[in-house]
Amino acid sequence: MVAQRTRLEVISSNMANANSIYDADGNYAPFRRRMAIFAPGDPSTGSEQGVHVREIQLDDAPFRKQFDPNHPHADEAGYVKYPNIDSTMEQINALEASRAYEANITAAEATKAMIQSSLRLLA
Amino acid sequence: MIEGLFDRGAMQAAERLVQFTGERHRLLTHNIANLSTPNFRPRDLDPAEFHASMQDALRRRRETAMPNAGRLEMRDTRNMTFRRDGIDARPQPTNRNILFHDRNNRDLERTMQDLAENTLAHNVGMELLKNQFDMLKMAIRERM
Repeated sequence: MVAQRTRLEVISSNMANANSIYDADGNYAPFRRRMAIFAPGDPSTGSEQGVHVREIQLDDAPFRKQFDPNHPHADEAGYVKYPNIDSTMEQINALEASRAYEANITAAEATKAMIQSSLRLLA
Repeated sequence: MIEGLFDRGAMQAAERLVQFTGERHRLLTHNIANLSTPNFRPRDLDPAEFHASMQDALRRRRETAMPNAGRLEMRDTRNMTFRRDGIDARPQPTNRNILFHDRNNRDLERTMQDLAENTLAHNVGMELLKNQFDMLKMAIRERM
């Protein structure tokens, strides 16, 4: 669940920065799409069970170009580079992440039900 | 295990069922946690394999002098070793769905269905065990 939430956070940061062409220091550097990459296991506990975010990768796909010759950052051909983010794709990924999150909630609830029925043996 | 007290009737069968469903639940939740992990292959245990071994053990016990008492000797199967107090499982990768682009062959619907079934089976096992214990308790208290 934590991993899926991290993924959702990455996606929302992508969406929020869909038009950011400056970096945090104010230099011209279009935002690159971030991707959360998962791997099985949990290094924080050393267990092989579960999942964790292995890394946040940058998407090397080319930037979206928009023709705007009067823009201060336009190149020789008159194009301005915008982040390589497709908001439709991000929406779909966000949906998938939230569904996967729900699947994990269901699994947790099933675990709870099983523990509860086991504990009833004591009563 | 106190002989004659805890090895009668359905108790051992229910215990084995709970052990198996507990083990399988661990695998299924792991598969669900890794629904979006690239290169991940879900692994699972086959309930049919477990049930075949259980059926075989019950049949063999039924042929003994005391058909509903005595140790339930479950024979090891290809992917499961039955210890006295648990099951050593060697889960196998499932190949039930096509490989997605992230090289993960998850099957969300089937996994969730397996999870629901497994939880119910676990609760059935627990309920049976509880009944057996309640019966013992009743016999010990000597009143209804």
